[in-house]
Amino acid sequence: MERAEDVKSYKPDQPIQDSDVRSDFKYEVAEHVGAEGLLRCLKCGACSGGCPVAAVTDYRARKVLGDVLLGLKDQVLSSDTLWLCAACFTCEERCVQEVNFTDVVTVLRNMAVREGFAAEGYVEMAKRVIQFGRVSPITRQVERMRENLNLPPLQEPAIEELRAIMESAGFPEIMEAATRRLKTV
Amino acid sequence: MKMAMAWGCLVPTRRSLIGYEAATRKVLNHLGVETVDIPNETCCAPFWMQSLDFTTSLAMAARNLAKAEEMGLDLLTPCSGCFHSYMRVNHTYENHPKMREKVNDILAKANLRYDGNVEPRHVVDFLYQDIGVNAIKESMKIDLGEIEIGLRYGCHMLKPSDLLNIEYSERPRFGDELLEAVGVRCKEYTGRYRCCGGLLRGTQDDVADYILHDRLMDAKNANLDGLVTVCSLCHIQHDMGQKSIKRKFGIEDLEIPILHFPQLLALGFGYSAEEIGLNLHTVKTDGIVAKIIAGTSKGGIKK
Repeated sequence: MERAEDVKSYKPDQPIQDSDVRSDFKYEVAEHVGAEGLLRCLKCGACSGGCPVAAVTDYRARKVLGDVLLGLKDQVLSSDTLWLCAACFTCEERCVQEVNFTDVVTVLRNMAVREGFAAEGYVEMAKRVIQFGRVSPITRQVERMRENLNLPPLQEPAIEELRAIMESAGFPEIMEAATRRLKTV
Repeated sequence: MKMAMAWGCLVPTRRSLIGYEAATRKVLNHLGVETVDIPNETCCAPFWMQSLDFTTSLAMAARNLAKAEEMGLDLLTPCSGCFHSYMRVNHTYENHPKMREKVNDILAKANLRYDGNVEPRHVVDFLYQDIGVNAIKESMKIDLGEIEIGLRYGCHMLKPSDLLNIEYSERPRFGDELLEAVGVRCKEYTGRYRCCGGLLRGTQDDVADYILHDRLMDAKNANLDGLVTVCSLCHIQHDMGQKSIKRKFGIEDLEIPILHFPQLLALGFGYSAEEIGLNLHTVKTDGIVAKIIAGTSKGGIKK
């Protein structure tokens, strides 16, 4: 990722070879809930145009879509670029073809996680949820602040229930895959 | 009117967000809305968690919905991230029967069941739709005139509109309408509808900083008395993040107070700044509160 003003050229480092292309990749992605609109993409670029991350970096949603449609599976799933979407849903709101790019990102990230490519920050947050039942734990300091504002004490999260849900959804195995070769992005 | 409250993870535990809960509780109570907290609420599994696994996330969010359903109540939350997660469950239930079945199979193993009968609501939309501008206006004890703010709707209360079904997100008006009815001037300014980069915090901090810098400069150039947010991440970014942006980008005169939407209403209902946690924000709010009180002393107290 580079700052927008530092980018001199969008020409890729090397030409794409046939061996890089998995032509069935787009169909594989489009089968998932949320990514059904992928095959409708016209690559018009409205997604990149409204993107807040594209305003400050060389990240382009259209390029991600182009790479997926072309079939660059390994490149897309292993790239840090996949973790740059800020999930503001502006592209989804504006896309005339209803591609729902933000939801496509979710599908691609789910695939990447299973291949061992996950954003470390998110994995750490998931670990906290597994441990505490919530992202931010209830500390003595939090309790004191709440008392000062006359707020009711926070109830303990139903941690056993939550763990049972995560286990029966197969999330421990997903976490194992995610941490196998954790990427710091 | 009775609602099941989902407060989320961040709102009840973060120093600068805790006033969001305090003000929301006071505003709802003042307006005669009965509330009950969802028992032992757990993480709603928002976008970052959906990035790791969508199916697990739906089942996690459905847990809190199942509890509201047991109580026969609709769910109300001040957190836009939570709102988004719960709406996502219902939307998926309606459009993807197979996924619905899968989620209920997962829930069954935790002795839970969710049938999609709970309507998730966002506090700001609820105030506008269900309480109404007139009822809120009539409950005001103090005129909030004299201040000009920038209202940030944030992303996850509105986008995508197909999913959240409140108002098309490019130029929403309902929040402005509500605040303007109680005398606040809401300024239209460049960047007010744009993303703050909040969800990149913790994974892409540098990018989050650049985006936040742009949003803060947008607000600074608009010469506002303060910003008003409805999203917990918007608040964390603009309030807690402001100091580090000043340092990182070498900006000297940046001091924009960031208020939570219901805090403004609570001030108008006559609650003190301390009662609604305004003194806990990272950027001092004394100035904007003083301006409201000064306006009041000039005959702003309603008869």
